[in-house]
Amino acid sequence: MQPHTNDAPLDGNAAGGLLSELFAFDVTTASVICEGCETQGEVAQARVYGGTMGALLRCAHCDTVMIRLVHTPHGFWLDMRGARSFFVKPPAE
Amino acid sequence: MIRNGSDSAVPRRLQWQTAEVSGLIDETPRVRSLVLTLPDWPGHKPGQHVDIRLTGEDGYRAQRSYSIASAPESENVMLTVERIEDGEVSPYLSIDVRKGDKFELRGPIGGHFVWTSALQGPLFLIAGGSGVAPLMAMLRHRAAAKNKAPATLLYSSRAFEDIIYRTELERLAAMGDGLKIVHTLTRQQPAGWAGGARRIDRAMLESEGFPPAARPRIFICGPTRLVESASQIMLDLGHEANLIKTERFGPTGG
Ligand SMILES: Cc1cc2nc3c(=O)[nH]c(=O)nc-3n(C[C@H](O)[C@H](O)[C@H](O)COP(=O)(O)OP(=O)(O)OC[C@H]3O[C@@H](n4cnc5c(N)ncnc54)[C@H](O)[C@@H]3O)c2cc1C
Ligand SMILES: [Zn+2]
Repeated sequence: MQPHTNDAPLDGNAAGGLLSELFAFDVTTASVICEGCETQGEVAQARVYGGTMGALLRCAHCDTVMIRLVHTPHGFWLDMRGARSFFVKPPAE
Repeated sequence: MIRNGSDSAVPRRLQWQTAEVSGLIDETPRVRSLVLTLPDWPGHKPGQHVDIRLTGEDGYRAQRSYSIASAPESENVMLTVERIEDGEVSPYLSIDVRKGDKFELRGPIGGHFVWTSALQGPLFLIAGGSGVAPLMAMLRHRAAAKNKAPATLLYSSRAFEDIIYRTELERLAAMGDGLKIVHTLTRQQPAGWAGGARRIDRAMLESEGFPPAARPRIFICGPTRLVESASQIMLDLGHEANLIKTERFGPTGG
């Protein structure tokens, strides 16, 4: 994950390290349904916009902000309004 | 050593650990590979990356992602870093870094942009510049696993001397195990150059790749612009979206 702001987005996959600070499983391989267009896809296929204090994950189809993660000196803000639901598979053996 | 890492049924929390540089390899005038010694490495899958964190004397921190270029079968973890002029982190990792230097690292990260030899079907790898790093992990793994399914690497570099892993790629292609390597040089070609001489485009992707009916697994990695155009062309050519995996490195590279 890049901590600085980039105009060009990265793949959701790039946020794996940052998301692992909050989730016990690999969120990037979970599927997520976008609240904006109802498309289902892997979090890794979303677009990541990174900033020093966190990341925005936008739907690759309609640009809806699905996940907003903000790192403050005291903790994290996690806003997932744009993500309707997640489907998490148990890790493969 | 028990290698359960990302396959473990009990998820393993990523922790920052201290990596020590145990070897350096000059790959091209602008690219260097770092061999790392890590106190706690659970193993990785080809295509995964790590996050690196550098902390200055004043406490200022910079964090960047780098792909793992080594195969899981390899003893060490290797990263390959291209120098970006005016970059905050890559000039240190590609030029100033010395054997014995230490920095913080967490990984392996990511289960999406991953290929293992257990996956069936042809493999089509598309790289621009240092985007070849995670694809090299796949090719090294493919060779170690003695996988003979057809595979093609289409690799764009600026000039001949910018081709990363050039001699190793020649060696892999000469093994006769179904691997084909196609180079294209976008800025400058040596006299008598028989490879491509332009950016990766639709004609190249169509003629060098596999037909959609063969259902190749497609991995595209490199500068954002290249990844976006190549993945769109593969979709237009009729490849299934779920067989196309991308890793954008940012605006960087060749
Ligand atoms: C998942 C992932 C894996 C990666 N793997 C590798 C790898 O294996 N090898 C490798 O060399 N790189 C890799 N990268 C890119 C790497 O993370 C850094 O972006 C790169 O090294 C540049 O960092 P920097 O600090 O030197 O430059 P920065 O300080 O971030 O930027 C340097 C200058 O270039 C401009 N700029 C900003 N971002 C970029 C950019 N990305 N490219 C070009 N110009 C930019 C800026 O305006 C700035 O002036 C990967 C990125 C991701 C997301
Ligand atoms: Zn959407």
